[in-house]
Amino acid sequence: MRPSGKKARSGRLTRAVDIRIKIITLIALVATWELLSRLGLISMLALPRPSHLVVTIGRLATVGFPIDITVWLHIRATVWRILQGYLLAAAVAIPAGLVIGRLYLLERAANPIITFARSVATISLLPLAIAWFGVSELSRVLLVMYGAFWAILTNTIQGVKSVDLTLINVGRMFGASKSGLFFQVILPSTLPRIFAGMKIALGISFMVIIGVEMIGTVEGLGALIQQARYFYKSDIAISGTVFIGIFGLLISVVLDWLERRMLPWAVGLEEVER
Amino acid sequence: MAESNVKVDVQSITKRFDTEKSEHALALSNVSFQVKTNEFVTIVGRSGCGKSTMLNIIAGLLSPTSGTVTIAGEPVDGPGLNRGMVFQQSSLFPWLTAIENIEFGPKNTGVPKGERRALARELIALVRLKGFEDKYPRELSGGMQQRVAIARAMAIDPDILLMDEPFGALDQLTREDMQRELLRIWETRKKTVLFVTHSIDEAVYLSDRVLVFAPHPGFIKKELTIRLPRPRLKSSTEFMKYHEDIYETIGKES
Amino acid sequence: MKKDRFRLGLIASWLGFLVIIVIWQLISTFGLVNPELFPGPIAVARSVAANLTAVRVLQHVGFSLMRVGLGFLLGGTAGVVVGVICGWYVKLGAVLRTPVELLRPIPPLAWIPLAIIWLGLDEASKVFIIALGAFFPLFTNTYKGMITIDPNVIRAGQMLGLRGVRLLLRVVVPGALPDIATGMRLAWSYSFGSMVAAELIAASSGLGYMIMHARELGTIGVIVFGILLIGAINFLTDYLIQDVILTRQLRWHYIGTTG
Repeated sequence: MRPSGKKARSGRLTRAVDIRIKIITLIALVATWELLSRLGLISMLALPRPSHLVVTIGRLATVGFPIDITVWLHIRATVWRILQGYLLAAAVAIPAGLVIGRLYLLERAANPIITFARSVATISLLPLAIAWFGVSELSRVLLVMYGAFWAILTNTIQGVKSVDLTLINVGRMFGASKSGLFFQVILPSTLPRIFAGMKIALGISFMVIIGVEMIGTVEGLGALIQQARYFYKSDIAISGTVFIGIFGLLISVVLDWLERRMLPWAVGLEEVER
Repeated sequence: MAESNVKVDVQSITKRFDTEKSEHALALSNVSFQVKTNEFVTIVGRSGCGKSTMLNIIAGLLSPTSGTVTIAGEPVDGPGLNRGMVFQQSSLFPWLTAIENIEFGPKNTGVPKGERRALARELIALVRLKGFEDKYPRELSGGMQQRVAIARAMAIDPDILLMDEPFGALDQLTREDMQRELLRIWETRKKTVLFVTHSIDEAVYLSDRVLVFAPHPGFIKKELTIRLPRPRLKSSTEFMKYHEDIYETIGKES
Repeated sequence: MKKDRFRLGLIASWLGFLVIIVIWQLISTFGLVNPELFPGPIAVARSVAANLTAVRVLQHVGFSLMRVGLGFLLGGTAGVVVGVICGWYVKLGAVLRTPVELLRPIPPLAWIPLAIIWLGLDEASKVFIIALGAFFPLFTNTYKGMITIDPNVIRAGQMLGLRGVRLLLRVVVPGALPDIATGMRLAWSYSFGSMVAAELIAASSGLGYMIMHARELGTIGVIVFGILLIGAINFLTDYLIQDVILTRQLRWHYIGTTG
């Protein structure tokens, strides 16, 4: 029953209405921005108008900034770094997590290290990495790997630990061997949790690389906006940030889609570990 | 002129819902009845016959398309403190203890601390939950939560107690315990009660009068007065006759 | 049996911890890696003693904590307030959520360049970044908490005489508290991370600056010390929030669920 009264307290807007309001608001915001800028009420230095930004984005895509580095090259650099660090992390963390999760004592022994390593702010390792490996791709990829690693590891371990005992017993009743049990019951049960960890890790990787790219490199989305800052080009900074936002959005959309395809029975697992 | 012992006067209530497909679902059609002071009246019917809608209109949580509801002479216009309500799902405030939940109504009407604490303790004793005052809802069983809910509704001393399938979410045994409990509380404290359920047994066991609702559109198909002394025996012949009667009235509608 | 297992586990945890420290020390003692670059725990302690004073360290810590605290408070409060508004006023909520949800995918760090252009290299830009880090998780969680409240609890509040803003403040917001609390934890960790990054990239004080500066000076021991210190503070503050503030204030939510 819906309570009446001036506000429909439990009355949510329908999807259609919600989207409509959002689109109208968006258009209104952009239009106001453009108008205020043209009227000179907003400085072009601080907040360039949307029409100018569109041009800037076009230039980024063709001419590039700094010269000759188009936004596509920036994106490619960032993506490549994320990919390397992320996949490396997953390749080690998932098997490690599966093993650690299964062995109680090992998990207990590893716990303090894991807890502490997670508390270390990934980006704080950058100076150390630079001292060891110089300002190089290796440093950057390693940092991404570090950030992604712990998220995947902890979630994998949690996933193994929280496999429903009932399911294991069912597997036993059907005569599964130890390895059969592992591959047919434990692993699939763990997958949703592993996936959750992968999602979180990708988000972390993304955040880490943007920060890392702001120091000591000219190529990459983080580098792009940092360069823009050096030259006080707020239009490029904003455009670059827009690209970053779109990129971030794409990542989560793709991951959600993947999850729905691969794990239709477990959609919507909320993240618990960082 | 309404009789002075009429507590609730429902006149020609019609309720139309606009669903998204813009069909006009007629939930209630021209329903009229009265509840006398300290009477225990139950509305019974299948799911979807409009009984909860009716209760929500009386509660003031829904407004009717047409018709009026008057409580002790006052027309109903939105929720108010002259009606207490117990919901099917425990609606206790999870962040308050049992006794704080009960004190909630009086607190908001400005009753001073000492007085409302005393009142709350009295009600805790009434619903036989002494010793559980400082427990959070999460720590209480379903039956206990509903007892707190009843105490909370009674704390505002309403003219009428509205109960929307309050025992529906409980297991059978607890449900029967709660039915006895409710009667005991009602007989001790004398309140007007309007009860909604889909269980015929529950209706016959508890009430002075039973209003049998039928759906599409919702209306009162039959009104019965249960002339049996309490406590009633669910296995007695008279009880079963009433049960049969109501059961046939409800019929096999699709 | 279970108790024994538990005790064994405890021993294993302590052993694991010790083993790592020992391995660390051994690696550097036997010079498996260039000791310049990879100081053991003792070397770290020496380096710190040689290059820093307790006062200096405390100053850095103070700056960092002050920034996080301020940013967290500002951004977090804003997040909760906007989240409550969006959850309560449905249409206004849709309007407000548009810019918020558009800006949400942008990681707080990506705002650094813009923040510096707009607010300069001073404290303001850093606090701004940190506040952004706190804003989004708290907004998201508060909003979620607001819209997933059991409607019966709200109705019960209405039936007990509450309306409008009083209903909002006395029933709806308390009901959303568990979600807000989760958001708080997340917001703190984002704020903290943003603080470290911001200090690394553009600051002249604070722990992030301390390690960046140490790298320029080549005092690796100080870098390691800084990293560990940051980690420790991060861990402690998170523990404080989790255990002291949340679990205690929200006893009514966690009761019966802690294992």
